[in-house]
Formats: sequence, C-alpha cells, structure tokens
Amino acid sequence: MMEPLRLTALPAKEVPMRQARFEPYVDNGGTVLAIAGSDYCVIAGDTRMSDGGYGIQTRQYTKIFQLTNKCVIATSGMQADTLALRKRLETVLSRYQKEHGKPMSTPAISQYLSNTLYQKRFFPYYTFNLVCGVDEDGVGCIWTYDAVGSHERVKMSSQGSGNQLVQPLLDNQVGKFNQRIVDGPRELSSEQAVSLAKDAITSAGERDIYTGDFADIVVINSTGVHWEKFNLKLD
Amino acid sequence: MFLTRSEYDRDVNTFSSEGRLFQVEYALEAIKLGSTAIGIQCEEGVVLAVEKRLTSTLLEPSSIQKVVEIDYHLICAMSGLTADSRTIIDHARIETQNHRFNFDEPMGVESCVQSICDLALRFGENRKEGEEKMSRPFGVALLIAGVDERGPSLYHSDPSGTFTQYNAKAIGAGSEGAQITLQEKYSKTLTLIEAQQLALTTLKQVMEEAITTTNVEVAVITKKDKKFKIYNKEDLEGLIATL
Repeated sequence: MMEPLRLTALPAKEVPMRQARFEPYVDNGGTVLAIAGSDYCVIAGDTRMSDGGYGIQTRQYTKIFQLTNKCVIATSGMQADTLALRKRLETVLSRYQKEHGKPMSTPAISQYLSNTLYQKRFFPYYTFNLVCGVDEDGVGCIWTYDAVGSHERVKMSSQGSGNQLVQPLLDNQVGKFNQRIVDGPRELSSEQAVSLAKDAITSAGERDIYTGDFADIVVINSTGVHWEKFNLKLD
Repeated sequence: MFLTRSEYDRDVNTFSSEGRLFQVEYALEAIKLGSTAIGIQCEEGVVLAVEKRLTSTLLEPSSIQKVVEIDYHLICAMSGLTADSRTIIDHARIETQNHRFNFDEPMGVESCVQSICDLALRFGENRKEGEEKMSRPFGVALLIAGVDERGPSLYHSDPSGTFTQYNAKAIGAGSEGAQITLQEKYSKTLTLIEAQQLALTTLKQVMEEAITTTNVEVAVITKKDKKFKIYNKEDLEGLIATL
C-alpha cells in the first residue's frame, strides 16, 4: 500500500513585505509651448513619448490636437489621460455645433476645459494643457492650465517636462519682462514667433531627456490652422 | 365630432383617429383667452409690449408682471395661463446660467428657445426622480426677444412645443386684429422708436381700456447694449405721449 502524500511545511523564509500599490499615473513627458500675437498664435510641441524613465515608447506622438478651425489644444503629461480628455472635448464640440449652430469659440473651449478638469478634482486627468488659437476678434490667445483646472489667459506659456527651461526664455523674449531698453517693436511677428518657438523647443531638447525627436509647429491665424514638422535631436 | 372628442381628450398622450392631440389643441385655445402681447423686431433691437388687464380699481398694477427677464440678453412676454410660465421661465433661466457656467458666454437666442420647447412637450411623461411632474400641456404662449451674435431676434413658442421666428408677432385675445395691423404696418427699416410706437398703437387698437402707464408693459432689448430694459412709469409716459 502506498503512503498517502503528505504536505510538509515549507521552510520558513524571510520574505520582505511587499504591498501592491495602485499606480494609475505615468508621466510620458514632452514639452509644449505657445506664443500669441495680435492676429496669430504659434504653438510648438515635441513628439517624443517616454515610458516615464529612460525608454522611448514612440518618437511620433503628436501632443497638439486640433479642436476647431481657430483652436488647438497642446497637452503634455500622461498620454492615456490626454487621449481620454481629447475624446471628451471632441464629443462636446460636436454636440455644441449641433445645438447652437456654430463651432465653439476658443474662449468657450477654455472655460469648458477648466470645468472638465475641475470635475475630476479628486482623480485628475494627469495632463498639463495649453488651449491656443484666435478668439472671436481674431486676436491670438492662450490659456494655460494646471491639472485640476486653474487657468489664466496669457501671451506666452509652456507646459511639460521642458517647462522650466522654456518659460524663462519666453518671458524674456516675448514678455520682455523687466527690460528697460527694448530694441524694435515689443510684439513679435508671426515669423519671429515661429523662429523663437523652434529655438525654444530645440533648447529644451538639449537638456531635457524627455523632449526630442521631432516638433510640430502650428500657426493659427485668420486663414486657419497650419502645421509644420521640425526636426529635433533623435538621441 | 363631439363624441369622438370626448373619447380622445381624456389622455394627454393619445392621438385621436384623425391624428390630433386634443389636450394640446385645447391648450392653444387657452392662449386666445389671455391678454394681448406684441413683439416687433427691427434692425436696432426688439420691442415687447403687453396689455395688463386691471380687473379692479383696487388691484395693484405692479403685482402683474408679464414681461420677465431670462438673462441679460433675453426677455420674454407671455399670454395665456401665466402661472404656467413660471415653470418655463425657471427652466430657461437655469439653462442660460448653465450655459454661462459651462462656456463663459451668453446662450444663443435660438438655443434658449429650443430648450424651452423641449420642456413644452414633456407632459404626461414618466419623470426622473426629483423632477416635477407635468400632467398637462402648458397653457401659455411666449414671445421671446433676445440679442446674440446673429443680431436681434424675436421668437414665438406655443404649448405644442413649436417655435417660429418672426419680424412681428401678436399673441393673446386681440392677436388676430393686431397681427393684421402688424402685417400692414411692419417694415424692415423701422427704427427702434418707430417699432415701439407701432407696438403700442397696435396694442391700443385691440385693448378695451384706454392705454395708460399702468395697464401696459413695454420692454426693449437693443443690439448695441445687448441688455434688456423694462420701461418704468416715466419712460412709458414719454412713449405714450408720442402716440
């Protein structure tokens, strides 16, 4: 007769306590920036999507999204949340068009985005946004946000991993803050703004490992939304 | 005919075999009992003029209000069962304020009228929890005047939930006569002053009493200010003197 199998106690081993944690967020990095003029708005955003560390998931992730013929949203932060937020905005834009018989204006979008972000005050979309475009009078406008909907209308702004590198440059070159002697006109032309935006995002790519590969340069004016691709470092 | 009616006018949501909703049609009749209200739209803005029936000399005229604010840029005059308008106005005020909250801009005139009419046909429906029950159609017609980016506009809405845009429209007991006058006298080139005078003279024709500062209400909304104004006693005196 066979001996019945007997379970023997496993030798006691010191296993460090490990707790599974809910980690809903990842920062996919990237930099977006925008410059507004009296009749234009220039937006730049790199297309690198990092995995939150040293890895690159794609070099072709566009952070700028066109909402209307007068408005785009540029978002850095977490890609999944960005896509969810875009989808929500698209739905509302389409409903608004049908209900009110006109596309949503850029100021209206800016207010709606703030409300949307604040509604998720206690489980926020991990996104850092710029709503950019021209308003009802054709004047360039930018709204800059934090993740929970605080917002402000500004002349220039940046968001994302390169924010700390770019924002002071914009403050100096566009805002001309604390400069007593200013050469030439205070306001940049659209071409100058594009050139500055390219320099700014290239500079961010020099030092910020989450910014690079390519940049989308978008110009919005009375003739519509114009896209351009621009090369950054691929390292 | 009478027999068929009595069969089908019990339930608000049952069509007669001729394809009619009698309760809605009766509601339309209720408006014809109401005091007359006139709206005229012109290039500069919109005028609303309403008759106030003062059935007793002891009645306090200011306690009757037939022109009400929906939002800064939207006003409304009513005729029929004016108590029913409270529900509608409340709804419209909430909708316009919601729109401001959501989009930081005033609501479009047509969108507001549409939202009012959405409510008009919700009678007899199973309501969601917390919502008021509506057992019958509204017995009130509205003239809604407003200004938006498309300019000034005037809309008429009735208990059937239909809305139509007009250059000039009269509702209420004297509406038939008044509408004919408006048809004859209206011109697209009217100034705001002329529109006010036309509204009041038309109202005067169909009113039983002589027109005074207490038995009419006048409100205007101008393209320039995008804000309404309900006339006070002094304004009315000045206007009536020009007739």
